[in-house]
Amino acid sequence: MIKNYLKTAWRFLLQNKLTSLISLTGLAIGVGCFLLLSTYIMNELRYDRFNDKADRIVRLVQHIKSTNNNEEIINAITPSAPVPVFKQALPEIADGARIFNYSGYKPATVQYSDKLFNERNILMADESFFKIFSFDFLEGNSLTAFNQINSVVISASTAKKYFGNDDPIGKILKVNNVNSMLITGVIKDVPAYSQIKFDLIGNYAMLSRSKTRKWDSANDYSYFLLKPGTKVKSAEQKINAYTDNLFKNDGDKDHRLQFTLEPLTRVHLYSKANDNLVPAGNIRDIYILSSVALILLLLACVNFLNLFSAKSIERAHEVGVRKVMGALRGQLFIQFLTEAAIITLCAIMTGTMLAWLIFPWFSNLIGHQLGFQTWDINVLVLLLIGIFVSVTLLAGTYPSLYLSAFKAIIILRGKSGGNAGNSTLRKSLVVFQFAVSVFFIIGTIVAAGQMDYIQHLDTGVNRSNVIVLDIGGASYNKIQALRTALIQQPDIKNVSASYDSPVNIAGGYTIDKAEGATGNLNMMVTGIPVERNFINTLGIKLIAGNDFTLGDEQRVLDTNYQKRVYSFILNESAVKSLGWKPNDAIGKQISMNGRQGEIRGVASDFNFASLHQKITPIAIFPEYDYFGKLLVKVSGKDMLNTTNGIERDWKSFFPDSPFDMHFLDQEYDELYQNDQRASDILIVFAFITIFLSCLGLFGLVIFSTRQRTREIGIRKVLGASITSILGIISWDFLRLVGLAIIISSPIAYYAMSKWLQGFVYRINMQWWVFVLAGSVAMLIAFITISFQSVKAAIANPVKSLRNE
Amino acid sequence: MLSLQHISKFYQAGGTRNFVINDISLEVEAGEFISIMGPSGSGKSTLLNIIGMLDEPSSGYHYFAGETVHQLKDKQRSALYKKFIGFVFQAYHLIDELTVYENIETPLIYQDFKSAERKAMVADMLDRFQIVGKKDLFPAQLSGGQQQLVGIARALIAGPKLLLADEPTGNLNSKQGEEIMQLFKKLNKEDGVTIIQVTHSEKNAEYGSRIINLLDGRIESSKQL
Repeated sequence: MIKNYLKTAWRFLLQNKLTSLISLTGLAIGVGCFLLLSTYIMNELRYDRFNDKADRIVRLVQHIKSTNNNEEIINAITPSAPVPVFKQALPEIADGARIFNYSGYKPATVQYSDKLFNERNILMADESFFKIFSFDFLEGNSLTAFNQINSVVISASTAKKYFGNDDPIGKILKVNNVNSMLITGVIKDVPAYSQIKFDLIGNYAMLSRSKTRKWDSANDYSYFLLKPGTKVKSAEQKINAYTDNLFKNDGDKDHRLQFTLEPLTRVHLYSKANDNLVPAGNIRDIYILSSVALILLLLACVNFLNLFSAKSIERAHEVGVRKVMGALRGQLFIQFLTEAAIITLCAIMTGTMLAWLIFPWFSNLIGHQLGFQTWDINVLVLLLIGIFVSVTLLAGTYPSLYLSAFKAIIILRGKSGGNAGNSTLRKSLVVFQFAVSVFFIIGTIVAAGQMDYIQHLDTGVNRSNVIVLDIGGASYNKIQALRTALIQQPDIKNVSASYDSPVNIAGGYTIDKAEGATGNLNMMVTGIPVERNFINTLGIKLIAGNDFTLGDEQRVLDTNYQKRVYSFILNESAVKSLGWKPNDAIGKQISMNGRQGEIRGVASDFNFASLHQKITPIAIFPEYDYFGKLLVKVSGKDMLNTTNGIERDWKSFFPDSPFDMHFLDQEYDELYQNDQRASDILIVFAFITIFLSCLGLFGLVIFSTRQRTREIGIRKVLGASITSILGIISWDFLRLVGLAIIISSPIAYYAMSKWLQGFVYRINMQWWVFVLAGSVAMLIAFITISFQSVKAAIANPVKSLRNE
Repeated sequence: MLSLQHISKFYQAGGTRNFVINDISLEVEAGEFISIMGPSGSGKSTLLNIIGMLDEPSSGYHYFAGETVHQLKDKQRSALYKKFIGFVFQAYHLIDELTVYENIETPLIYQDFKSAERKAMVADMLDRFQIVGKKDLFPAQLSGGQQQLVGIARALIAGPKLLLADEPTGNLNSKQGEEIMQLFKKLNKEDGVTIIQVTHSEKNAEYGSRIINLLDGRIESSKQL
């Protein structure tokens, strides 16, 4: 019997190529998206679980409450003392390792013979690192990896990059021209789902601070391995008791350093700490994506359901005949469910293929390397079976029940299916589909608007045509020589240097004295040491006073800090916080972290961090001890020639460092990588949901026009024009889309408001966004409807009425 | 073999009952060949459907092959019907997605015949109706007469005692119609199949052994030929 079912089902699908294809496409896309998203979710959930001792590993984070606003800051970066001290003092702790992000601030240059690369993933870790974490050694082993003070363990792909097929063990890498590291091990590349990612990991003992146990400067990540059976909470209590005792003389208890422990497997999704080793995930995103995955699958099921029942009028005859032949309802139910199962099976195969094809692109979109290899094969198979069963039941049950319930007698009397089934259900499903689509359309428009706003907002820094070179650590003499050489080139307008990126200034300083201020001044400001042409190069506007001069430069060049005289340019906010009008501030004396000097100018407020943050007080001051970035303002004409010129000069001054330039705009865009990603993902979802919804609508229109063939025929005989018939059919559906827009708009408004609230500088959602989204949905729906409705409207009424 | 007593079928329309079948009693003996005639709306098809258990009467008693049909549950009725009755329709009602062979085979599937048995039975039937060469064609590839032939073959495949035919020649030209009627006559005479047919045509009606005339849901006249 099942063979017969399969045969009929297969033939029916082949004979109804269009609808079968629509069902199949919709479902395949649904399944494909579901697989992609669930792979991502799976990857997030399995973070760090590959470590054999994952359930016993914890990360130490520190909590600090600042005195001026009582806000608690949780930071993953901890001092060097806790690991050695706690390991020794607390019996609950079996082992511990500090990890320092060696290339965290700027890429390190690594050299082996003639091969020279900028490495961005170098860590330094304590000797017990490989005893706590489980990384697979291809050469060397976890016990002896760090038994040399200058040991380094590298990943397989790093080994390949430097040594090709040669054996890397025992080779020496020259790092930043100062450290010689001896390769003692090669591990398999670190899994993408590890919170500790590295290409090279050196022995922490190489760092000068490895001998010290400091509590007051935080640079390292601290991980502990707890003794078996130790509860995280109890270890945490022991630690707090220990530090309470240790710091008992250090003033106010509320503002002392506090530590908590985070279980390793919760760090990635649940940690609230700043400055994680790799950007943390967020459990909220996981919930959102899970819902999206389910909704997409559901949308596809809805299509299938709608199309399947749309076809039922044609199947009604078959049902009648089969019932006359003696078929029981149950048998017919099984037959139709078999059909649903066949389509679902094809869809799952196609969807899996689709996912497989899209994985590289998807990995790119979300910034994680994903694929079917992410899965445990058994889990994947179970998931696919689960999808198969649930989609078959979800999409197949209703139409099968509905179809198999047809009464033979009614059908065989020559009338069509008669009862159209539950059209309210079908209509609600279409409303649901379009509500989801409209939601994503609104989301897309709002996100695109915000991204456009970010791109075009005048942040007060002229970023265009500014080339950035990372020069971290180079001596000022060299930088100055390079600057002098560069400035000769006709297409280079100006050259300056700064401590960190002018679009993302992070230095924290405190102004503790200001002329005329009384009492205990303790004002937190952001600060950035710059070369004196900084303001000019970046086009920052001054509203009072003057730019820095050569004299200002010379007064801070003294190597004796005591003799230096500083000059400052503050922004409007800073001056305002100090209680001055811009013009009054000029010439006033201030002191900032021991730097004494005079306010030279006041800059109008500009954004020096991402637009997620408010503009706060900032102090710009010439100081030539360290520059991280060389900023080259170019004319923008003949870029190739200009950059070649820059490279030539770079090579002559820094022959040992690879030439690695980028634009300031790129650094700016990087600040919004996550937002851009969210925006991209929204666009993709908008397209997919619209497509799925249109497929569903298309199916329903086929259904409806078939049902109404007779009515349309009669109307035409009575003289209705084609346009009026188009109007009648379209109205029926556009009404549903309208309802979807009404339902969806407030939800989208709420969700996107939440998203926009993350930006201090943001667009307002205008009414036209909703009108536009609604119109887009309406238009797309109308076009979809037209495919069928035109056909129905121009059909010859004689034909449609002849069957009566 | 079948007995209807005081059978009525009506629809409630507002306060009044519209009778399609109004108190019909009818006895049919095995081996009869009955033609039911009457104008449109006289209740011919409804009567046939009630006899064939596709439709239920609003009131009255229905006995078939020793069973009290009006007291049976759906499933039992279906089982009874599968075993004894074959149906032929004016519009053939073949399944478009199935070949000639598969259409004829379908009733056997629902009666749980084994695959090998089915093969033999269908082969026999194809042979008997001389449509072996058409067994892999789909209904749309056949003429109306050929389709009706397949319809009859399908109705007969499970060896029914009673063949019900609702205007079996209504969609056919007179030559094709005549062939079908000859076939019915032969089935009735040689195989002893009881036949009840609804027809508009006096000529076709006369192939039968009894003609029943319906008017407004009642038996107006009945004559033995």
